[in-house]
Amino acid sequence: MSGTARNLTAVLKKKGELVLEDTPIPKPGLNEVQLRVQSVGICGSDVHYVVDGKIGRFVVNSPMILGHESSGIVSALGEGVTSLKVGDRVAIEPGVPCRMCSYCKEGRYNLCPDIVFCATPPVDGSLRRFYCHAADFCYKLPGHVTLDEGALLEPLAVGVYSCRRGGVQLGSNVLVLGSGPIGLMCLLSAKAMGAAKIIVTDLDQGRLDMAKKLGAHHALRVDTQDSEEMARRVEAALGCKPEISIECSGAEASTQTGIYATKSGGVLLLVGRGRYHLLLPIVNAAAREVDIRGVFRYANCYPLALEMIASGKVDAKPLITHHFPLEKTLEAFETSRTGAGGAIKVMIHCDQ
Amino acid sequence: MAEVENLSAVLKKKGELVLENTPIPLPGKNEVQLKMAAVGICGSDVHYLVNGRIGDFIVKSPMILGHESAGIVSALGEGVTNLKVGDRVAIEPGVPCRMCSFCKEGRYNLCPDVFFCATPPDDGSLRRYYCHAADFCFKLPDHVSLEEGALLEPLSVGVHACRRAGVRLGSRVLVLGAGPIGLLALLTAKAMGATHIAITDLDQGRLDVAKKLGAHHALRVDTRDAEEMARRVEAALGCKPEISIECSGAEPSIQTGIYATKSGGVLVLVGLGPPTVNVPMVSAALREVDIRGIFRYANCYPLALEMIASGKVDAKPLITHHFPLEKTLEAFETSRTGAGGAIKVMIHCDQ
Repeated sequence: MSGTARNLTAVLKKKGELVLEDTPIPKPGLNEVQLRVQSVGICGSDVHYVVDGKIGRFVVNSPMILGHESSGIVSALGEGVTSLKVGDRVAIEPGVPCRMCSYCKEGRYNLCPDIVFCATPPVDGSLRRFYCHAADFCYKLPGHVTLDEGALLEPLAVGVYSCRRGGVQLGSNVLVLGSGPIGLMCLLSAKAMGAAKIIVTDLDQGRLDMAKKLGAHHALRVDTQDSEEMARRVEAALGCKPEISIECSGAEASTQTGIYATKSGGVLLLVGRGRYHLLLPIVNAAAREVDIRGVFRYANCYPLALEMIASGKVDAKPLITHHFPLEKTLEAFETSRTGAGGAIKVMIHCDQ
Repeated sequence: MAEVENLSAVLKKKGELVLENTPIPLPGKNEVQLKMAAVGICGSDVHYLVNGRIGDFIVKSPMILGHESAGIVSALGEGVTNLKVGDRVAIEPGVPCRMCSFCKEGRYNLCPDVFFCATPPDDGSLRRYYCHAADFCFKLPDHVSLEEGALLEPLSVGVHACRRAGVRLGSRVLVLGAGPIGLLALLTAKAMGATHIAITDLDQGRLDVAKKLGAHHALRVDTRDAEEMARRVEAALGCKPEISIECSGAEPSIQTGIYATKSGGVLVLVGLGPPTVNVPMVSAALREVDIRGIFRYANCYPLALEMIASGKVDAKPLITHHFPLEKTLEAFETSRTGAGGAIKVMIHCDQ
């Protein structure tokens, strides 16, 4: 099948059933480009859709193509496209908003209720040989930036957005809770933005070792559910309470730690997604004016993320631990799901 | 009793509030001595009386109550030039250390060493004579009463809440809880230009006051179903409010605040309730509804005074009961039970 399928595609037929099959090669519409997809990273949310068939109110009710962290090479131009030409190597920002609602007009297009987002049901993603996308949401990569790095711009944009919403700047002291791909991207972004001291927490020593390699000043292993105790350890390690905490796991105990650990007047960002209802020491946050800000994807972050990579200020390549061809998508997802072999970011290659 | 020089309301310990004499204090450097006039009772004062503590603030030794107050300058300490004897002033009760980084950065309400009237172990102003930092006393124009001066304290909470929430011309605001703080948040939001204000409460009487004070919609809470209450708010306003100000501290009310607020908006938490609360955090996080707590206020008294002095805000309707200092116990009982539709109970300390 794979050898002859012109547009070999990874389709989630329904919960638990991920297959590779041929789908029609799409043609670019007005202001769109057609892309020969190159690198597609696997995100925890992709795995979650395969395993659970849903995330919150987004339910896989019909077959959906996966993939939203991607890069490609422009193969055809739709009508009206002047910003790109055939052969351009681009990173693909997966969420295209309606451009007309008040959220879009006010620049918070990530909150657009009608946004079309790759691989969020019912919208098809980019994990296929050919895919079409709005041209203005494709960012041309300089010659020295790889297509793998182009795909990494997506999770890096989450890191950039989180640090921006948190107000990370030169001299900030930052706590990152959770050292998975997102936590590591937040770490890299915070460092690039000038944070003075960054401390990272995680259950897993291997992930903490990676965090230290990537520049965390302190790495604390979580070995207790006592969040006040973890907060004390953070303060002891940093020598002060961090004014910005970025929670990247979604776990209740970790979110509690984020509240207790943050300096009065500071900010706790919630990037990780967990249980819908959390038991939280809200009064502790409220009475100390620790603001709690959620992060939903990103807006206007791809340009900065690209600049960070292109300038060399951030090297995100160490996060890529495994590579698979499109034909081996199922193995790729299994590796990502289990974290086998110290997997952090698993990259799928769609070109033949 | 009339001969007692400095009759003071002292909380000896939980449950034991007495009136007794205390020494007349002399003003230190940069302080003024005040002949106290009006002192409002706050829910926190009642809470210390009934429970002996609020969170980590515990009444371990006798403490004079009172922090919402106004008085007349009776003596000047060394170095005071901004006030003179006879000036009528509103008293901002929290005096910070002025030296730490919080103070230097303007967020003096977060100063760990702040002196705050009637927060253990600091004595409050519910007495005939009291001394306070002169720069935390704000001179009242002639047409502003001393009672209104005392109201500047809870009004400042409303100002701080609305500021942190970003209320401005055209804002659509939900106020959860129509007690004194909710009502002052309502008045402040209106003054700041909010055009659609909905308010919720369990009690119809309080909602009636809210409507009289200008709330566009008043919704009685008759269910613990927070999503249902949020739907009703949206139906009443015709849209989701971008700002919600939670003034009760109750868990279902906080949950309602989260569900009701528009994506990208702000929920401000003023009311303090149980230390741990079950919240639909994902709804807030996914929709970028920011949650901002309020702790007292900073740099709000000048604006609160301006709002009253200019007539933009009339807070006098909130004062429902008056008692002389001698009847402090009855005053607290009235405030505690809410008897007679009590909202703000004012105690008069001048003889």
